[in-house]
Amino acid sequence: MAIALTTEILLVFWVVNAIWIVFAKKTYRVMIFFGVFSLITSVIYLFLGAPDVAMAEAGISAFATIFFIVCIEKYYSRGSGLKAEMASAAKPRNYFKLVAAFAFVAMLCGLFIFFVPTTTEYAYTELRDLYLFQFMRDVGGRNAVTAIYLGYRVYDTLFEALLLVTAVVAVIHLSWFDRTIVADGRHSEVERSRMTKFAMRIVCPIILLFGMYLVMNGHISAGGGFLGGLAFALFLVCRFMVLGVYDLPIEKAMKLEELVFINIIILPIFAIFTGFIYFYGYATEMFQNIYLIAMNFLVGLKVAFGFFVLFYRYIAIERLPDKEEVVEAFDDGED
Amino acid sequence: MTVGDIHVLEIFPILVFFISFFGLIISRNIVKAIVLIMLMQTSVILFWLGLGARLGNIPPIFQDATEVYDPNTIADPLPQALMLTAIIIGIAVTAINITLLNALFRKYQTVDWQPMQDLATVDERPES
Repeated sequence: MAIALTTEILLVFWVVNAIWIVFAKKTYRVMIFFGVFSLITSVIYLFLGAPDVAMAEAGISAFATIFFIVCIEKYYSRGSGLKAEMASAAKPRNYFKLVAAFAFVAMLCGLFIFFVPTTTEYAYTELRDLYLFQFMRDVGGRNAVTAIYLGYRVYDTLFEALLLVTAVVAVIHLSWFDRTIVADGRHSEVERSRMTKFAMRIVCPIILLFGMYLVMNGHISAGGGFLGGLAFALFLVCRFMVLGVYDLPIEKAMKLEELVFINIIILPIFAIFTGFIYFYGYATEMFQNIYLIAMNFLVGLKVAFGFFVLFYRYIAIERLPDKEEVVEAFDDGED
Repeated sequence: MTVGDIHVLEIFPILVFFISFFGLIISRNIVKAIVLIMLMQTSVILFWLGLGARLGNIPPIFQDATEVYDPNTIADPLPQALMLTAIIIGIAVTAINITLLNALFRKYQTVDWQPMQDLATVDERPES
C-alpha cells in the first residue's frame, strides 16, 4: 500500500517533470529536469522488482548528463549558441499551429488510453515460468535476468555489443580530431578546484571496487556486465577529471575493445552453441559459474572500453574550431 | 483505477510518451529534441516493465534454490533482460545524436531547427 501510494505520487511528479522539460526555455534547466526524471524512473523500476534495470538507468542518466552538459558547454562557450537559443526562445509563436499540434497529440493519446488498458493486462507468458523455474538448471547462477541475457537470449547480447562497436565507430567518424584543445595536447585547459580533486581521489577507488563487485556477483545478485562496465567507465572518467591529463592511449583502448568483442563472440560459441552448459548433469555448477563470470567480465570490459572511448573521443579531445577553420574545412569539401 | 493497480503504470507512460511527442513537434532547440527522444524511450521502457510486473513484486533473484516461490509475486525477468539491452543501446544512440548535433553546430553555428533548415536550403540551391 505504501509502495503504491509512493509510486503514484512519484508518477505524477514524473509527468510534471516531462511537462517542464517540454516548456523549459534554457537548456541547462532541461538537463536538471532530465536528471530528476531519470532518478524517479529508477526508483519506480526498483518498486517493480527490477534492480538491474534501475541501476542501469541511474548509471546511464549520469553518463547522459555528462554528455549533454559538455555538449551545451561546447556551444555556449562560443557565445553564439546562447544568443541563438535565447533568440529562438523569444521569437513569437504561431498559436494556431500550437493548438493544432496539441489537438492532434491529445487525440492520439486519448485513442491509446481508450484502447490499451482494455486490451492488455498483466502480460502473463508461459516463458516466464520456463525462465523462472529452469534457469538455475539450464544456465546456472541465481539471477534470472543474467541467465536470460547470457544464456537463453545470448544473441541479443552479441548484437548489442555489435551495436556499441558501431556507435563508437560512428562517433569517431563524426568527431573532430585533427588537433587537441591545448598546445601540448596532453593537459586540459579546464580549471579544477582542489576540493573536487580531493573528493574524486577518495571516490575513484570506491567506484572501481563497486564495479568489480558488480561484475563478480552479477550471476548471483543484482548487477552484471553492463552495470559493472558502466562503473569501470565512470572510474576512467573520474580519473580523467582528477588528473586532467590525456595520457591514456585511446588507440589501444579501441584495439582492446575489438579484441574483447571477438572474445564475446567466441565464448558463447564454445559454451552455448555447442550445448555445453545446457546438458544437465554434464556441465557442473562450477563450469556454469565460470562461464557466467567470464562472460560478465567480458561484457563489462566491452561496455567500459566502449563508453570510455565515446567519452574520451567526444568530450576530452574533440573541440570546436575557430570560424576561419570551419570555412577552410568546408571549402576543401571535407564534409 | 485502484491504488496499486497495473493501470497506473500504463496510463502515465503513455501520457509521458505523448507529452514528449508534443514537445518534439513544438520545440525549436535540437538539444531539447534529443532529450525528448530519450524521454520517449524511457516511457516505453517503463510501460514494457509495467506489463510484466506488479508493484512490490520481488526481483527474479533467488538465494535459495530449493524454496518454492509463488510465480505471481515474482517480476517477469524477460522484459527486464530486454530492457537492460535497450537502455544501453539508447545511450549509444544518444551519443551519436549529440555528435551529429555537434557537427551541425560546427557547420551552421546554431542549434535551432528553423534557421538551420533555411541555411541548408541556401547551401543546396547553387548546386541544383
